[in-house]
Amino acid sequence: MAEAGVAAGSEGAAVTGPGAAATGGPAGRAPGPPSAAVPGPDPRSGPRERLSEVWWVAWRQLRKLTRNPFLLFWSLMMPLIWLILFSQTFSKVFERGASLPGATPLPYDFVAVMLPGIAVMTAIQSSAQSGFGMVMDMDSGFMDKLFVAPIHRSSVLLGKLLADGLRMAGQAAIVLFIAWAFTHAFGWRIPFAAGPGGTALIVLLAAGFGMAFSGLSNTVALRSRNTETTMLVSFTLTFPLLFLSSAMLPEALLPTWVQDFSRVNPVSYLADASRPLILTGWNITAIGHAVAAIAIMGILLNGLAMLSFRRLGR
Amino acid sequence: MPPIIEVRDLVKVYGGGRGPGRQEAVRAVDGISFSVEEGEFFGFLGPNAAGKTTTIRVLTTLLTKTSGSVTVGGHEVDRGAAAIRRIIGYTGQSVGVDGDLTGRENLTLIGHLYHLPRDVIRRRVDDLLTVLQLDEAADRPAITYSGGMRRRLDLGAGLVNLPRILFLDEPTTGLDPQTRNAVWDYLRRLHKEEGMTIFLTTQYMEEADRLCERLVIMDQGRIVTEGTPARLKAEIGADVITVHLKQDGSFVRGRERALALAQGAHGVVRATAFDEGVSVHAKDGGATLLEVLRLLDSEGVAVRQVAISQPSLDEVFLQHTGRQMRVEEVKPQRGPMERRR
Repeated sequence: MAEAGVAAGSEGAAVTGPGAAATGGPAGRAPGPPSAAVPGPDPRSGPRERLSEVWWVAWRQLRKLTRNPFLLFWSLMMPLIWLILFSQTFSKVFERGASLPGATPLPYDFVAVMLPGIAVMTAIQSSAQSGFGMVMDMDSGFMDKLFVAPIHRSSVLLGKLLADGLRMAGQAAIVLFIAWAFTHAFGWRIPFAAGPGGTALIVLLAAGFGMAFSGLSNTVALRSRNTETTMLVSFTLTFPLLFLSSAMLPEALLPTWVQDFSRVNPVSYLADASRPLILTGWNITAIGHAVAAIAIMGILLNGLAMLSFRRLGR
Repeated sequence: MPPIIEVRDLVKVYGGGRGPGRQEAVRAVDGISFSVEEGEFFGFLGPNAAGKTTTIRVLTTLLTKTSGSVTVGGHEVDRGAAAIRRIIGYTGQSVGVDGDLTGRENLTLIGHLYHLPRDVIRRRVDDLLTVLQLDEAADRPAITYSGGMRRRLDLGAGLVNLPRILFLDEPTTGLDPQTRNAVWDYLRRLHKEEGMTIFLTTQYMEEADRLCERLVIMDQGRIVTEGTPARLKAEIGADVITVHLKQDGSFVRGRERALALAQGAHGVVRATAFDEGVSVHAKDGGATLLEVLRLLDSEGVAVRQVAISQPSLDEVFLQHTGRQMRVEEVKPQRGPMERRR
């Protein structure tokens, strides 16, 4: 223990919160006699501290991901599997349709129509799992560690969202990259009409949507504190959202009632903004709508998650 | 100087809420008052479900109270939570380390959450890893650690910010005796050399006796007694003879008889019945033991086991609650109480 005693003593002068340093306030407390324990100005006050809290929570999530090679591998495999499944399984149907008498042959493959949908789907699947970690942290007691630290509760949620967003962006980027590679290597006909910039925007939209949708998984996780419930609710909603939207097929090809639903389904706005970026080019109005849909959904669902988060410990 | 922790009439009621998760209201803490001085090693002793964890969670701002007043370091828990968090360290009952991160990463992360400068974090984490004898395993994921190592790492996480007050919720539950001793030594040194105020809950009499300068005994949400271990034991003021009776059909009648006999014996200060027999406090334990046994034998009361001892906190607990305190070694991962925290 001599080590700790000496070390702690010699460190005393250096123990100054960043907040104290920034504002020139009194030195942070030194260990030892209680009279030395003058609390400095609230180190939580500045936006820099807040950003650092969010970053360290996110850092932990990302580090967890890299420590689980299987999880990392499968979370990257998933988009690839979707891509292959959808492009191969439905391609014949599409070819038949396009070769019917009177139909205009299209200059691209079915997979080009599907591509934005697949990118979104990957993000949604990841966001459905977002709440798992939350439940595990509550069970293990790690959440308590975060809550007794002098950080904003919202930083815990935002940090997790940031990590989720980065992961989803990575997944969406992989889907698009593989599609691009296949276009060059195997002659898939995908126009990538809006170029690399437009393709990057699809990645951002998919990740943004995934982050917004994470709010649902996290809300359910925080309320139920149970991984099975979290999985069930999120997965049950995932597929209706995808299939009752224009993500899988252009709106014109959907049954009427599905069309009606798809107009209030945020996934449709995302698909309608992303699809032109692949097939025809920039559609600024559609992109604006998609951003608005993501923002509304994100604020709503993550607001709910934040409320549930604040309720913990009451 | 005002006490560093001051609790008046604290009440915590769980449940009784609305909605599908509705539960019967449980009064986990039922109007307790106590205070802790700066620099004190203070203990909360009691069996499971006594309300110890609930109390410590209120003090550490993890749980809101139902009523009463609680101040920690001069800050009121509801309004001053942020200020309190900066001066406390907490090690909970469940080991809150992230198994995917290495020991070093776990501690470093906590340091960053306290906004400490990088070089301070690096040095302090190195020191903690050395002191807690984790330096060899420092760069291995914590999931590979033994239970004792995880416990020590968890303790380290509560110390990264050099807290003024360290809260420990049953820090040695589930540890082997050797590791338990090491943790005790470490806590004693922290207390002595850093002058740290330590608030500990435990269900081990021995732990409370060895570590705490002052303690509160809690049972079923209430404080049953309070004082230094020496004073609490001295209050009993005599040797303790514990007579366990045979648990057969005549147990209840036998115990009544034994109680009456013991009360009539020479030199007996007090005799109390408990769930397995009778406990007798006597000035001269040896002489009284013989007499009590002779009396019981002549009356045909079947004795299973007899023990004579200096008073320990076991007797203190027994005297105040009429029950022997049982330690449940295997605890459920999460009790119903914790579900609603």
